[in-house]
Amino acid sequence: MTDQYPGYDVLAKRRTPSWNEQTRQAINGRLAIPREPRFLSPDLFAVLDAACRRIIPQPTERPPVPLAAYIDAKLFNKQSDGYRLAQMPDQGDTYRRGLAGLDEAARSQHGLGFTAIAPEAQDEVLRQAHAGKLTGGAWQGMPSKTFFEHRLLNDTVTAYYGHPTAWSEIGFGGPASPRGYVRMALNRRDPWEAAEAKPGEEARARRENDHV
Amino acid sequence: MGTSKPTGDTATAIAVLSGATVLGGVALALRQPRAPANDTRASLLPWVERSKAPAVPPLDSKATVRAARRLNRAAGTIAASVLVDSAIEHYRGAFHNEAMVTPLISASLSLLASVHGTADDRRGAHVARDLVYAAAGLTGLVGTGFHIYNISRKPGGFSWQNLFYSAPLGAPAAISLSGMLGFLSERLRNNTTDSRPTILGRPAGRVIGLMTSLGLMGTVGEAGLLHFRGAYHNPAMYLPVTMPPIAAALLGASALGEAGRRKPLTRWWLRFTALLGFVGSGFHIIGVARNMGGWRNWKQNLLDGPPIPAPPSFTGLALAGLAALGLLEDHPDD
Amino acid sequence: MSDPLAAPRAIQGRAPDVFREGGWVEMREFSESEAVDFVVIGTGAGGGPLITRLAEQGFSVVGFDAGPYFRPLEDFASDETAQNQLYWLDERIVDGENPIRMGGNNSGKAVGGSTVHFAMVSLRFRPEWFKSRSLLGYGADWPLDWREMWDYYGKAERALSISGPVTYPWGPKRPRYPYRAHEMNGAAEVLARGAEAMGYKWSPTPLATVSAPRGDSPPCVYRGFCRFGCSTNAKQSQLVAFIPRALAAGAEIRDLAMVGRIETGADGRATGVHYFREGRWRFQRARNVVVAGYAIETPRLLLNSANDRYPDGLANSSGLVGRNLMTQSNQAVYGSMKDEVRWNKGPPSLSITEHWNYDDRKDFFGGYCWMAQGPLPIEWVTVLTGSLGLWGEQLRERMKNYNHQVGVKMVGEMLPNENNRVTLADETDQYGLRIPRITYSWGDNDKALVAHALDKMQTSMELAGVRDTFQQVDDTNHLAGTARMGSDPRSSVVNADCRSWDIPNLWVCDGSIFPTTGGVNPSLTISAIALRTADRIKALADRGEL
Ligand SMILES: Cc1cc2nc3c(=O)[nH]c(=O)nc-3n(C[C@H](O)[C@H](O)[C@H](O)COP(=O)(O)OP(=O)(O)OC[C@H]3O[C@@H](n4cnc5c(N)ncnc54)[C@H](O)[C@@H]3O)c2cc1C
Ligand code: SF4
Repeated sequence: MTDQYPGYDVLAKRRTPSWNEQTRQAINGRLAIPREPRFLSPDLFAVLDAACRRIIPQPTERPPVPLAAYIDAKLFNKQSDGYRLAQMPDQGDTYRRGLAGLDEAARSQHGLGFTAIAPEAQDEVLRQAHAGKLTGGAWQGMPSKTFFEHRLLNDTVTAYYGHPTAWSEIGFGGPASPRGYVRMALNRRDPWEAAEAKPGEEARARRENDHV
Repeated sequence: MGTSKPTGDTATAIAVLSGATVLGGVALALRQPRAPANDTRASLLPWVERSKAPAVPPLDSKATVRAARRLNRAAGTIAASVLVDSAIEHYRGAFHNEAMVTPLISASLSLLASVHGTADDRRGAHVARDLVYAAAGLTGLVGTGFHIYNISRKPGGFSWQNLFYSAPLGAPAAISLSGMLGFLSERLRNNTTDSRPTILGRPAGRVIGLMTSLGLMGTVGEAGLLHFRGAYHNPAMYLPVTMPPIAAALLGASALGEAGRRKPLTRWWLRFTALLGFVGSGFHIIGVARNMGGWRNWKQNLLDGPPIPAPPSFTGLALAGLAALGLLEDHPDD
Repeated sequence: MSDPLAAPRAIQGRAPDVFREGGWVEMREFSESEAVDFVVIGTGAGGGPLITRLAEQGFSVVGFDAGPYFRPLEDFASDETAQNQLYWLDERIVDGENPIRMGGNNSGKAVGGSTVHFAMVSLRFRPEWFKSRSLLGYGADWPLDWREMWDYYGKAERALSISGPVTYPWGPKRPRYPYRAHEMNGAAEVLARGAEAMGYKWSPTPLATVSAPRGDSPPCVYRGFCRFGCSTNAKQSQLVAFIPRALAAGAEIRDLAMVGRIETGADGRATGVHYFREGRWRFQRARNVVVAGYAIETPRLLLNSANDRYPDGLANSSGLVGRNLMTQSNQAVYGSMKDEVRWNKGPPSLSITEHWNYDDRKDFFGGYCWMAQGPLPIEWVTVLTGSLGLWGEQLRERMKNYNHQVGVKMVGEMLPNENNRVTLADETDQYGLRIPRITYSWGDNDKALVAHALDKMQTSMELAGVRDTFQQVDDTNHLAGTARMGSDPRSSVVNADCRSWDIPNLWVCDGSIFPTTGGVNPSLTISAIALRTADRIKALADRGEL
């Protein structure tokens, strides 16, 4: 897939009026997240990591966003969403059971742990969870569909699209305070917004993106 | 209620500027009326004109040319305002249509022609200036057409919303005003020494006075619309919709009334309107500073804040009004 | 920079100046042992205006909020994740057939309440809704007259400097909005085109963010992070528009102060509140207690305050505390355009059509409006995962189309139902208080309304040239009910003055008092009622009837 916003990097705006100090601090903290698990056991963390890689496959030409680390941090810091579905245990247990459940499914179907099976096979296990087909064992009655949709999928994509790397990828303007936006109409772009490469205009977009 | 008035630096700046405005107004009111007819030293600012107030000279060749030069100066002031304003606004519009550079070119030429005209004390219309001014007049008309078309295509058509935020209807008219004043100036220069100056056969002071009065009202309409959009959040925003209409009315009355008489009130009011044009820019500068991020966020606030270059249009028109008033006072035409 | 969540800021005779980084304003303080005229629990859409007007009318008032006291300029990051700090994230259990997603989707915890992160849409009810039972045949009548409400709406709009259209196309005449409507973004224009194609009227949305300077609030800079706190201070949240007035009038605000129980005395009247602040439980004596904690915390507090005299909780002789919880349907239709829409620019809902609130040719009860949308990336990705079930490469590709997405979202009326309710779970929270269990299921009428709306929204989007449309069918937003007002003690919790039937010095003044929820966003109505309640309290006090 070609780069839709060639050369665009939200972080290049860090020192411009688009970012205030609080935002710089918040994003610095996000970029400095510890990569080692603090809540999950190393084994479950490895399962989580493998699952995140399938939910958001990341390109090899840039450092990956450490999605599993964000989820582990959320569990470690007990960051709640502010509600819990009645049929679900608390967040930490939800993950412990769900990840163990994925691993069990891999073992029973392929004879290998989730991290060791082929990516396509991992996808298949995740699809089974999404469809609510995984039960028994580690799941302890917890619906795999709810685990997948409300926890694993939700937390993974939330972590990814809360990261500057993803913002650059989708051409999102990112932080915008004190400076917001001026040109509101359709097809209008402020000079500090990502320029999209229309076919044949990649060079121009790249040039413009160098100056956001 | 506590939260509806600004505090801190903004409040101080507004207070200082308001005070300065009042002082300026008083100073203008205390000034002797107008320069003597035989004083040829053109001064850039009307309120520092040297004034000795001689008896009214019945006919004076210099007076006509001086009035013409004042008109050039007025045309130039408006052209400068349009140049910067349209540059900013059309930059905001990303020059998405190539025609959007036209007002910049036209206003630049009008500005050059006006500088040239202001320095030129010869009589007789100048062909190049005439062409430039005619082009400016035309640019304004075509621009208005474009802007009307732009609004008509928006959902809602000619609604308040589109009048507020789509291409402004009144803006292109400003470049036409510059062209008109310049064009009148050239006509004025075409008068011979020993006749009462006329334009198209009518007394020049009256023609210029009336046209300027109409121009003022148009500009008031534009300022009124935009200040309404700003909800008149500061009382000073009422000034450009109250002072200039009175100036326009006084000038109109002078243009239609008896000529050859001193009109101190009209003169003071026009001078104050000229001052207001600059004060307006001052208020707009405070407005930009007051927006989020202030001047550090100039890339946004110059565009989103109140338009700094717009208010001097009033100055330009008031200058033209003063030129007309000079002619009217100097030349009883009946 | 201090951490507003670590320790209270409104202490020692001063409170944060919301307009200045590190700034302070003076604050009066009341002693705990002397009864104040009013304790108000919650400083949001209802509590904020009430505290302000009570103080301005000379009552001694202390406002409590469990949340922190922010200075938006210094505390708000421009970031979806970091701004989770605005939400009520304490554990709540949700169940029923259509469990309500709480947290950021539904409630705030801060001085200023949910208005600190609300989307600023400020609409009036359709007049008939105040008598929907007798005039329209569903729900319950309000004990209020719409003409009186029209006045209080006007007052609320002025206090909040609402920026709205010069003429509003629906409903009875209303005074001009104090500020002009905002410029519309691309997404808002697409809604307008769609509405015009359907023959519906549309309008720029009346919003509680200023389009020109107001006091120390600069105009909106169209950054689009409104739902994550306005670091510009353009948004007229209660934190910015009311609380400073309240302080100036002599009210005290206690931040990071969680009220756990309302105490009643031998005469059955409320005597004060137990609250947790700075690491310990305290007690504030009061002559009157007003609960304004919103539709979950209000019934929770009333139920948690049960004692021997009131074993079913306070003000609950009708058994209706916690019942008739309502949310609003918040479904959407999204799609793509060839144009670059860049819908994140500007407040999310810059245009609206209320057509189906005023057109009664439908075979279900209630109405709805829809508005333009501008979700930021995290919200948007959860729509794609939730509605389309996307993940993997497909999801990443779809997300790359972010700048070309467009959509409209409804706010629809859901009918009151006694079985939709807030009860107490056995689990307790960090304060040792029992946490709420929130049970919700949609009724047939709710589903019919949603189906109708999705169909109309879809058609309008397609007529506006939007491609690849899809429906988000499961979202809800806004809460109401659980302590409804009425004219009969057997079928309501409070009367028209928001005064509880059972305990004359206990009041409820927030979204909980809604008997029906209408098809527009609720907060302007909550604030208008709060302004009315303050006037009524003054009138009652003058007559010696408090
Ligand atoms: C994302 C989002 C967007 C919204 N957008 C809009 C919109 O555009 N337009 C609109 O009209 N409405 C909107 N709403 C809804 C609106 O914000 C609420 O309806 C409104 O704020 C409710 O007012 P309230 O006074 O009942 O409660 P709130 O404003 O929520 O205030 C309640 C306060 O009470 C405090 N509190 C609760 N319990 C206790 C306790 N025991 N002790 C101490 N303090 C306590 C809380 O901390 C909170 O600050 C939105 C809501 C959300 C979540
Ligand atoms: S868009 Fe306007 S109201 Fe929303 S956060 Fe930005 S400045 Fe505040």
